[in-house]
Amino acid sequence: MNWDALDLSILGPAFLAGLLVLSTHVPLGQQVLARGIIFLDLAVAQIAGLGVIIAHNLDLGHHHYWVQAIALGSAIVGSILLYLSEKHFRDVQEAIIGCIFILAASGSILLLSAHPHGGEQLKDLLVGQILWLDYSQLIPVALIYALVLALWFGFRNRRQPLLFYILFAITVTTSVQLIGIYLVFASLIIPALAVRIAKHNKATLAFALGVAAYGFGLLISALFDLPSGVTIVWTLAAFAITLVALRKQRLFQALINRF
Amino acid sequence: MKASYLTIAIVVMHFALPPAAYAKLKVFACEPEWAALSQELGGDKVKVFSATTAFQDVHRIQARPSLIARARSADLLICTGAELESGWLPLLTRRAANKRIQNGQPGHFMAAEHVERLDVPAVVDRSMGDVHIAGNPHVHLSPQRILEIATRLSERLMLISPADKAFFKTRIDSFAQRWREAITTWEERALPLKGKTIVVHHKDWRYLSDWLKMDIVASLEPKPGLPPNAGHLAKLKQQLKQQPAAMILRAQYQDARASKWLSKNTGIPSVVLPYTVGGSDQAQDLFSLYDDTLTKMLNALP
Repeated sequence: MNWDALDLSILGPAFLAGLLVLSTHVPLGQQVLARGIIFLDLAVAQIAGLGVIIAHNLDLGHHHYWVQAIALGSAIVGSILLYLSEKHFRDVQEAIIGCIFILAASGSILLLSAHPHGGEQLKDLLVGQILWLDYSQLIPVALIYALVLALWFGFRNRRQPLLFYILFAITVTTSVQLIGIYLVFASLIIPALAVRIAKHNKATLAFALGVAAYGFGLLISALFDLPSGVTIVWTLAAFAITLVALRKQRLFQALINRF
Repeated sequence: MKASYLTIAIVVMHFALPPAAYAKLKVFACEPEWAALSQELGGDKVKVFSATTAFQDVHRIQARPSLIARARSADLLICTGAELESGWLPLLTRRAANKRIQNGQPGHFMAAEHVERLDVPAVVDRSMGDVHIAGNPHVHLSPQRILEIATRLSERLMLISPADKAFFKTRIDSFAQRWREAITTWEERALPLKGKTIVVHHKDWRYLSDWLKMDIVASLEPKPGLPPNAGHLAKLKQQLKQQPAAMILRAQYQDARASKWLSKNTGIPSVVLPYTVGGSDQAQDLFSLYDDTLTKMLNALP
C-alpha cells in the first residue's frame, strides 16, 4: 500500500477528466448500444489516427493545430461514411464498421513504415493517459463537450442520425487523446450495458455508476501503484457486474427507485 | 496503552527534529542504472527510487500515481536525458510541480548531457528514422562515461546537501578507484572480443561496441525505432551469409523473435544481455552489470 499517492492534487485532475468524459459518453453510449454499433468508437478513433499520419506525410506534423484539425476532419468524414452505411446497409453495419477499423489501422501501419515519428504521434493520439492531465488541459475539453451536449440535447426533438454520428466523431477524437482508447470504450459501453434493463432514470444510474468506478479505480491505482487508466476499466466492469447481480434485491431496488 | 503513548512520543519526536538531522536526500531516478549510481555515491544518505525496471522500454511508460507522488517529494531527479525520456518526463515534471527538480535547478540532472555523445547527426531528416538530435543517449554502457557522470553527480549531491560534503567525497573517491581498477580488469578480459563483428537489435549497444572496439555491421531494425520486417531480415540473412558476424545482441526487454529467426537461419549465436542493472540475475549493481555483460558475450565466442 502506498499512502503518499493518495493526494487530491495528483488524483484530482484525473477524476475531473473522468466526470467530463462521462458527461458525454453516458448519453452517447446508450445511443451506441441502442443502434448496435459497439465498435464505432474504435473505428472513428482509428480513422482520426490515420488522418494524423496523412498529415505527417504532407509535412504538417509539427503544427499542433493542423494535426488536431486533420484528426477531427478525418474522424468526421469517416463518421459520415459510417452514417451512409447505416442508411443503406443497416443489416451489415457492424461488419462494415469492423472492416473500416482494420483498414484504417493497417493503412496507418503501411503509411508509417517510413516515418517512425508519425508513429509516436499516432500513439499519443490513441493512448492518452488520464494521470498526466492537469486542470488547464481540461478547459478546451470542457468547452468542446459543452458544445456537443448543447447540440445533442438542443435538438432532442428533431434528432437526425447524422447529428449523432458527427457529434460522436468530435467527442471520441477529443476523449481518446485524454484518456486512451480502452477507457473511452469502457466509459461508453459498460455503464450503458449495466443499466440496460433498468426501467427509469437510466442516464442518472449510468452516470452514478461511472463516477463511483472512476473514483474507486483512481483510489485503487494510487494505493496499489497500478497504471490508472486500465485500473478504471476494471473497476467499471466490477461495478457494472455488481449492479446487475444486485438488481433483484429488494433493498437495492428501493434504493434505485429513490433516484 | 503503553504502546500507544510510545507511538505518540515517536510521532512527536519525528516532527520535532529538524529535517536535516534525519532526512535522507530523496533521489528520483528514471532508469535503474542511475538509481544504482546514486546509491553507490550517496550511500545511506540517500533514498533512491527508480521509475522504471530493467524489463521496461524507457521510451514509453504507463503513468502511475506513485510516479507523480515520488517526483513531487524528490530532491534530485536523475535521468538519461538527451531526449530518451521525452515522451513522458516533461509531463511528469509538469504534474509534479516540484521546483527543486525543474530544468536549471541543481536537482535536475540529465546524465547523458554531461558527456560526449556519439552519432550526433549533422542534419536531421525524418526519413532517417527515430534519430535523436542530441546523439545516441544510451551512454551507460561506456565505463569511462560512467566515471565522468559519477564525478558530476557527486558534485551535484554536495551542492544540494553541503552538510554531507565530506561523506560524498569519500564515496566518490572510493567508487572512482574501484571503477578504474574494474575497467582494467574488464579490458583484459574483453581482449578476445576486440575486432569482432556484431549484429544489434537497436542502436543501444553503440557505446559498448565503441569501448570494446567491436564493429556493428547490421541492425535488426531497418531504421532506428522501426520494428524488424521480413524484407529487411531476408536482406540481413544474405549479407551475413557472405560476411558472418560473431554474434547477434539484444537487450532482455526487446522482442526475441527477430534475433531468434536470424540466428536460426544463419547459425550465428544470439546473445541476450542484461542492458541495465537488474536485467539479469547476475547484474545487481553497475559492477556486476559489466561483469555479466562480458561473461555472456565471451561465452558466445567459439
